[in-house]
Amino acid sequence: MNPAMARQLRALLTKDLRLELRTRETAVAMGLFALVGMVIFQFAIGTRTDDATPFAGGIIWATLALTAVLGVGRTWVAEREQRVLDALLAAPVPRLVLMSARAVALVLYLLAVQVVVVPLAMIFFVREGSFADLGLTVVVCLLADVAIALVGALLASMSVFSRARELLLPVLLLPSLIPVVIAAAGATHAVLGPAHALDEYWRYCVFLAVYAVVFGLVAFATFDHILDD
Amino acid sequence: MTALVRARGLVRAFGGRRAVDGVDLDLLPGRRLSVVGPNGAGKSTLLRMLATLLRPDTGTIELVGHDIGARAQRARPHLGYLGHDPLVYLDLTAWQNLELFGDLYGVPALRERIPEALSRVGLLPRAHDPVRTFSRGMAQRMGIARLTLHEPTLLVLDEPYTGLDAQGARLLDDLLAGFSTGGRGAVMVTHELTRAVELADEVMVMRAGRSVGRMETAGLGAAAFADRYRELTS
Repeated sequence: MNPAMARQLRALLTKDLRLELRTRETAVAMGLFALVGMVIFQFAIGTRTDDATPFAGGIIWATLALTAVLGVGRTWVAEREQRVLDALLAAPVPRLVLMSARAVALVLYLLAVQVVVVPLAMIFFVREGSFADLGLTVVVCLLADVAIALVGALLASMSVFSRARELLLPVLLLPSLIPVVIAAAGATHAVLGPAHALDEYWRYCVFLAVYAVVFGLVAFATFDHILDD
Repeated sequence: MTALVRARGLVRAFGGRRAVDGVDLDLLPGRRLSVVGPNGAGKSTLLRMLATLLRPDTGTIELVGHDIGARAQRARPHLGYLGHDPLVYLDLTAWQNLELFGDLYGVPALRERIPEALSRVGLLPRAHDPVRTFSRGMAQRMGIARLTLHEPTLLVLDEPYTGLDAQGARLLDDLLAGFSTGGRGAVMVTHELTRAVELADEVMVMRAGRSVGRMETAGLGAAAFADRYRELTS
């Protein structure tokens, strides 16, 4: 990435964060959604079992995957509603920079949600969690967020010109996130569960990293064409 | 002399209907072209192709010497596009919008250029207000500030007078007048026949996706052009 592209990326990211700080329409909605999801799981599962630790990884990542759908669905909304998309597309911005800015913004929103949700989930569902476990869970969050953000930014951009995008996006995104949910839930369970299986944890982390790299390469190869009509 | 626009055999269809059907277009530096025609004539589709927002199904476009089929990205720094809307973020301030687009276009000395651009359109006192709080005319003037910030060579304007207040219309008139010098040029779609004649060197009339007439405006009065337009589009 050359200095001009870095300047464009920084400008787009600053714009996204400024819009979010002013409108609070994405991260706050995602956070509230995730909190409500946690509370529902607490009533549905937490109150019906003495030890919900084996379910914690699944609960966290099912909630976060659905939350991510909400966040990805908000991608390009300001551009469409405020009719700015033409100005962005007519500007000399490589499409890969546009997508990278989207992906980085999504990672930041997901991390902001996880700062609240993951500790809360540990309180609700994990019987004997520790700070070391939380640290290892942060690594899972980072890897899974990058994977989710890359897939999300790619699919959101593919559906931006579609009239049925509100329907299309979840239908495309959720199946694409199944491998991420399986791996992230597996890694979280491995580290939070009673077995504390670190070998298994690292295998899942490698899978998440490979998934992110593969979708990163797909995005790199295709994104220039996706937004160009 | 490199043409600012050189388009050949442009065709673009939507669902089987040809919105633009075999249009050729040339624009030399120092020239301004108005494109007029009834609704559905294909004017905006043509303009979106020139703005690199739509690819033609067939045909080629060269903008400022760059074939946009292969190298649209090289042509884009030279383009300034303004549509019916100002194409700025309503929830960002005027300053933040210009900062964003200045960075996207790689504008040097941006901190000095932003107040100049806002001052030109009479919005410097509102620099730190969100565009959402602006009137329609002020927002469109904001669009003009965005349009000119990176000093484009070629203006591509789609009904730019829509929603403009008197001050904004004067600004745009002056801006277009300036584009007859310095190797620059402009293509403007408009419904206002008088402006089409007064602000351009040439007028192209479109009907049903085709160019049905092209004439120099020198010596052509608005009334005479209106008669000619009716003949060509009836």
